[in-house]
Amino acid sequence: MVLDTILSATFISALYAVIAIGFTLIFGVGGILNFAHGGFITLGAFSAYIASGYFGLPIFVGLLAGTLVGAAVGGATYMGVIRYVRTRPVTILILTFVIGFFMMYFVRVFGREILKIDPLNIPVDPVIGSSSFGNDVFIFATSWLLIGALFYFVNYTRTGRAIIAVSMSDKGASLVGIDSERINLITWVLAGAFAGYAGVLLAGSLGGGSWLMSIEPPAPLVLSFAIVILGGLGSIKGSVVGAYIIGFFETFTVTFAPGGSQLAGISSLVLLLVFLLVKPEGLFGREAAE
Amino acid sequence: MSADSTDDFESEFQPATDTQPTPDAVLEAEDLSVSYGKVQALRGLDLTVREGEIVSLIGPNGAGKTTFANTASGFLPYDGSVRYRDQEVSSVGQTALVEQGMIHCTEKRDLFGYMDVEDNLELGGYLQDDAVIEERKEFVYDLFPRLDERREQNARSMSGGEQQMLAIGRALMGDPDLLILDEPTLGLAPVILKDIAEAFDPIQEQGVTIMLTEQNVTFALKHADRIYLLENGDVVREGTPGELKGDDYIRESYLGG
Repeated sequence: MVLDTILSATFISALYAVIAIGFTLIFGVGGILNFAHGGFITLGAFSAYIASGYFGLPIFVGLLAGTLVGAAVGGATYMGVIRYVRTRPVTILILTFVIGFFMMYFVRVFGREILKIDPLNIPVDPVIGSSSFGNDVFIFATSWLLIGALFYFVNYTRTGRAIIAVSMSDKGASLVGIDSERINLITWVLAGAFAGYAGVLLAGSLGGGSWLMSIEPPAPLVLSFAIVILGGLGSIKGSVVGAYIIGFFETFTVTFAPGGSQLAGISSLVLLLVFLLVKPEGLFGREAAE
Repeated sequence: MSADSTDDFESEFQPATDTQPTPDAVLEAEDLSVSYGKVQALRGLDLTVREGEIVSLIGPNGAGKTTFANTASGFLPYDGSVRYRDQEVSSVGQTALVEQGMIHCTEKRDLFGYMDVEDNLELGGYLQDDAVIEERKEFVYDLFPRLDERREQNARSMSGGEQQMLAIGRALMGDPDLLILDEPTLGLAPVILKDIAEAFDPIQEQGVTIMLTEQNVTFALKHADRIYLLENGDVVREGTPGELKGDDYIRESYLGG
């Protein structure tokens, strides 16, 4: 029982880490709380549905479609809106909220017309038949692979170092010849790609998604927020650790607390509150994107 | 202290004189004006920095020295003209200016605070090849042995003087042709000033032209080849340190009589 719970917490945490990482990146680099993150996730899942559920292409095509569409909407959001208001945090906060809602409503409107039945049935099962275990292993493996690749990219490549530089000092980055506009765009594209990918994984592991999937349990938008606060805003390492703390806390609450299954969405918020009061800078403080 | 507030209107409406920049001008401003909203920070300023010189802009707080530095390096929109190597700064763009060797070391330093000395320097060479980065790093560590001793230390945990050395070192990593040093001595102890001043010679020997803004007039007079005194956004005196030391107005207002 406990072992099972640990295993399933491990799997779900890996998914949470992918869900939160894009949110972390954008905060780390631009200091922006991107509330359109939920919209990116939803559009990613929707794209996978169109590719795989509607056109019947293999799920890996759907996964790719979700990732690419996520990257595209991330880039478009930055180029079309955010870069014009970069210095106005309140405006950005409101705008990202609105953009996220537009994306959700887009899925609501078009998802209904194309498909009367809502769930995106995406069995991601390359390993073992169609069992959900294969699904989990796939998510776990790609989560570590992709986040590992991101960590390497950010810390050991020239463009990655430039991302960290912009995250620490926009002006300083400009002074050494880093085009911070380009770096911000790269960040938004990466964050969008991760969000899109996460959306497909999430919908896949739940057996479906809807236009409300970013705020319905496990509420990936809220999760991202909680994870990123726990880990320390903007820290990749912190987000991964935060994802595992929340994943374990939630799974154990649901499994062992009386009436636990009703608490699925709320346990992460409890941790969020505790951290905000006790350790507001998060586990990994303000180490920027490292 | 409002020197000769010359007829702003006239200078504003004068047609830009069509003088060819002398070949060895690295940086040249002509009738340069910059405003922050309704506040005019530069008012039709003219100045020239020539190849190989150390030119210092002196003047009180708010005279427009930092505004000029920021404008020259492409951070601010302006009216009139400011040219780097005969190209209009606004048409080159800030990042391309860095690529072409105009490196700005700002008053606030703008270091990467959570990175160590080594990483800050390496990012200073962001646009350089790896080989150039290694070579420049050695030059900087020779120039400022204190940085060499602190390679692994985070920038934000260093003293003001060390941070200033790091900021200059980072600027040198970009292989500058024109180095803009904005108030490098601000708030630093005399012993650090000496270290920084001693770096000027080896930097100049590399063929680097330096534009230095300074509130510390004594420091500027000692180290610059030519000096411009700015007040209220315009040049009110210019000359060599020798000339300016003999100027009554400078003596009374800036050198304590």
